[in-house]
Amino acid sequence: MSKLSKNMSKDEKKLMRQMYWRSFTLYSAVTPAKQGASGFEYSMLPFINKFYKKEEDKKEAMIRQMSYFNTNLAMAPFVMGVTASMEKQNSESDDFNAESINAIKTSLMGPLAGIGDSIFWGVLRVIAAGIAISLAKNGNIAAPIIFLLLFNIPVQLVRWYGGQLGYTLGSNYIGELYEKGLINILTKAASIVGLMMVGAMTSNMVKFDLKWNMVVGGKTILRSQQMLNQIFIGILPLSITLLCFWLLKKKNVSINWLILGTIVISILLALVGVV
Amino acid sequence: MYEAFAVAIVVFLTVGGQELLGFSMLGRPIVIGPLVGLLLGDVKTGLMIGASLETIFMGIVNIGGASAAEPGLASALAVAFAIMMHGGLGVALPLAIPLGIIGLQIKTLIYVAVVGPFASKFDSMAEKGNQKGIVRLHFGLWTLQWFLYSLIPFFAMLFGSEATQKVLKMIPNIIVHGLTVAGNVLPAVGMAMLMKILWDKNISAFYFLGFLIVAYLKMPLIAVAVMGTIIAILVAQRDYQLHGLEGKVSAKPVASATTNNETKDEQENDDFFS
Repeated sequence: MSKLSKNMSKDEKKLMRQMYWRSFTLYSAVTPAKQGASGFEYSMLPFINKFYKKEEDKKEAMIRQMSYFNTNLAMAPFVMGVTASMEKQNSESDDFNAESINAIKTSLMGPLAGIGDSIFWGVLRVIAAGIAISLAKNGNIAAPIIFLLLFNIPVQLVRWYGGQLGYTLGSNYIGELYEKGLINILTKAASIVGLMMVGAMTSNMVKFDLKWNMVVGGKTILRSQQMLNQIFIGILPLSITLLCFWLLKKKNVSINWLILGTIVISILLALVGVV
Repeated sequence: MYEAFAVAIVVFLTVGGQELLGFSMLGRPIVIGPLVGLLLGDVKTGLMIGASLETIFMGIVNIGGASAAEPGLASALAVAFAIMMHGGLGVALPLAIPLGIIGLQIKTLIYVAVVGPFASKFDSMAEKGNQKGIVRLHFGLWTLQWFLYSLIPFFAMLFGSEATQKVLKMIPNIIVHGLTVAGNVLPAVGMAMLMKILWDKNISAFYFLGFLIVAYLKMPLIAVAVMGTIIAILVAQRDYQLHGLEGKVSAKPVASATTNNETKDEQENDDFFS
């Protein structure tokens, strides 16, 4: 495993260490709209400061890395490693397609969240908790410590080496693709996976059900949600998401207003009993 | 007073701490139970109740921000009340479940109403290149969020278990409900921002495909990812072939623009038959 960091310079090794520690705080300031964006930015700052010399370039990279980010925490350093290696290539060449950075980042986070959640939440945690519970029921005081060790040792190994693996893979392969002019193909492919995941996540995570029913003479003659489901399942979450997208892209409505508007409208709708 | 402080600090350091020391499982009942027990002078009870609550809350995980209860606050308070009233699991259990559900609602409330609006503040700081501000806000929000959250166990301990249950019933349900609805809809804003990054007319159909296969086929995200990857590989292969053709075309000396298309077609035929 030590091979991973063999080709890294001393500076890069230091950056890797910083990324490892900083990425612990990925969800410290988690927000509904952008999840771990600030934690991702915080983990990327050492790279941004190292790679970019001009203030303008730094700002651009900072805006880029403040985008929505949500994945399994054990997998996050891997994504960060890939992203960091791409930022490095972007800083070294003039015509690097910076949009590809976010495309790759977004396409990685969905699948890795799925893999990480099922391995770490679903399997490792259950095993660790199962062992600790049986120890605790026998009165063993060490149970919580054993639980934490059983869970955290594998997770920390994945976090530590995952980051280095991501950085190395990103540096080797993405650089090569770039030189051959194939990065646009990769970006498009990644964007396809990304968009499909976003579509899937829209269906999975955006929830909005109508509770309003038309009652005439004590009889429910129309259940609005049921009726909508017959037309198209998830038509409301999909429409709301597309509306937000349209407002963001075409109308340049700020995220602040979108968030505030969503909260206010939700409470109002709850007050009148529609949802 | 000591008990109130002790439980509040445990909640702050474990439930909050696991957000700072990401994915460390500090806030699970099996850890919190004995810890509260230690501070209140009855490790054994803490350990036992912690283990029982861990079993109960085992299925409750926090995947992608979605959850059914917050086990940390529930465990801390349930264990503390059980120790102070010299009751066992019988005291702890009836308290733990509603506390877990209410804990999650309050956590959501803070997450949506207190931390949520700062998302755009982070953006404007990034635009200005204000790195110090970002770092400060990043940790400031953590401190604020979990300080507020720790006030609940503090006051709950101060006023006792009966008073706690009474107060819990006083929060207008409709507001809590509205915020829960908002919490469910807000990911739409996040999705919209992702779409702003990824959207391209040529591939926009894949967004709807992704939505469709989850809504109707109930495919898990991991399967969607695999399917997306397969499609992406197919598209990339085709693009790679086109890229190769373009390379060949541009390598040939082209007589004029009008014959360009022809050459391309010929080339394609050649490749097709070869």
